[in-house]
Amino acid sequence: MAPSNQTGTPPRHPDFALAERCRRNEPGAFEELYRLHSPRLFGLTYRLVGPNEAEDLLQEIFLSAHRKMALYKGEAALGTWLFRLGTNQCLDYLRSKRARLMLLTDAIDQDAPAAPAASGAVLSVVERMDLERAIDQLPGGARAVFVLHDVEGCEHREVAQYLRITEGTSKSQLHKARMRLRAALASGGKRRNDHDDLQGR
Amino acid sequence: MTICKDVEPQLSQMVDGHLPDAAAQATVRAHLEQCAACRGVLQDLERLRRTSRALGPMTPPNHLWLEVAGQLRLGETPKPIDAPRRAIPNPRGPLAQWIGLAAALLLVSVGAYYFVRPPNSAPVATQSNAAPAGTVEAVTEELSRATSHYEKAIAQLEALKKSEGNPLDSAAGKELQDRLAAIDAGLDSNITEARAALTQEPGNQAARESLFEALRRKVTVLQATISLMNEMAKGNQAGAAEAVSVFGKKS
Repeated sequence: MAPSNQTGTPPRHPDFALAERCRRNEPGAFEELYRLHSPRLFGLTYRLVGPNEAEDLLQEIFLSAHRKMALYKGEAALGTWLFRLGTNQCLDYLRSKRARLMLLTDAIDQDAPAAPAASGAVLSVVERMDLERAIDQLPGGARAVFVLHDVEGCEHREVAQYLRITEGTSKSQLHKARMRLRAALASGGKRRNDHDDLQGR
Repeated sequence: MTICKDVEPQLSQMVDGHLPDAAAQATVRAHLEQCAACRGVLQDLERLRRTSRALGPMTPPNHLWLEVAGQLRLGETPKPIDAPRRAIPNPRGPLAQWIGLAAALLLVSVGAYYFVRPPNSAPVATQSNAAPAGTVEAVTEELSRATSHYEKAIAQLEALKKSEGNPLDSAAGKELQDRLAAIDAGLDSNITEARAALTQEPGNQAARESLFEALRRKVTVLQATISLMNEMAKGNQAGAAEAVSVFGKKS
């Protein structure tokens, strides 16, 4: 019988060294961590909570990462750990906000508005900026599903855990979010062209 | 015979390669063969998905790092640990700022007491009937009440600091805190003005009154800060907003 390797502790990720340096408050260590990971987290925050609150929330995320650094044991990449922390912080924020006005569970119940001229593709090209704006218009729950799955590349299983919903709900909300975006981009693109026409006169 | 309504919800899964089995795939494909509308939707979904995946990271504005570093008190080159600073354990973040503010207010109010005290009055302990009783007693009572407010505030802030987690450590808390800080800065300039007027003209009743008015409002700001922290600690965002909203009306 082959001896099994049962040390109980998985090998530490190379990122653990940087985390250790941050914990010891070594000069420049936390800045290095910030520079490496803030762009992905800013994209995440910007799309999950919207442009107005993204900066404040990103700050909060890094402050709490600094506080919680001891909880990172090197079992995964630091980026993964930070992504989880950031996602949960954004979702907590949205949940607390929901008490007043916004709805994280605000799923898209009715079907997306019928796409214009049902035949054929309605999107010739999807501009990134248009897409960013359209994402910002999605209702809370569907928006979070879309950002986590389609932008960040999470599996439905992970999305379901983050949002405390079932995988089935995650799948159906994703489809509805995509159909909403398709409709928004189709009409938004059309409006922009009309506008250009007016400008051209 | 499959219809668009049944196929459409499966198109997302098709784009993701998640259609459950060969039979489901065959059904959807058969429908797509003869339905241009659904082929169009599929094409759009594929485009949308490609662009979504390409959205990627965003560089945050430069000042954000400075703000994070400032909050953490991380400098470019870390200062050696200096003893006086350690007097407040682990000074960091907004809470420490409030403690600093409360301590500063205490100094302001104590200083103000000696400053605005009528020049001819004796020290409180020995004073008997020197100055008009109403004025001096009112002044003394006002200031001692203010002082005890500050002391209580500091005690509460200290106690809160010891408990786990900073209740103001959220975007909402920061927003409210910023508003209080703005009000507080306004009061500071009122106080400075009143003090300047009193320096020129120590007996100026109006200046004295406006100084007291500013000090009274400082006490209220501090009280609001405490109730803000209490509400935030309880997770009551609405209550916290209410604690601050008192000021929106007056200033």
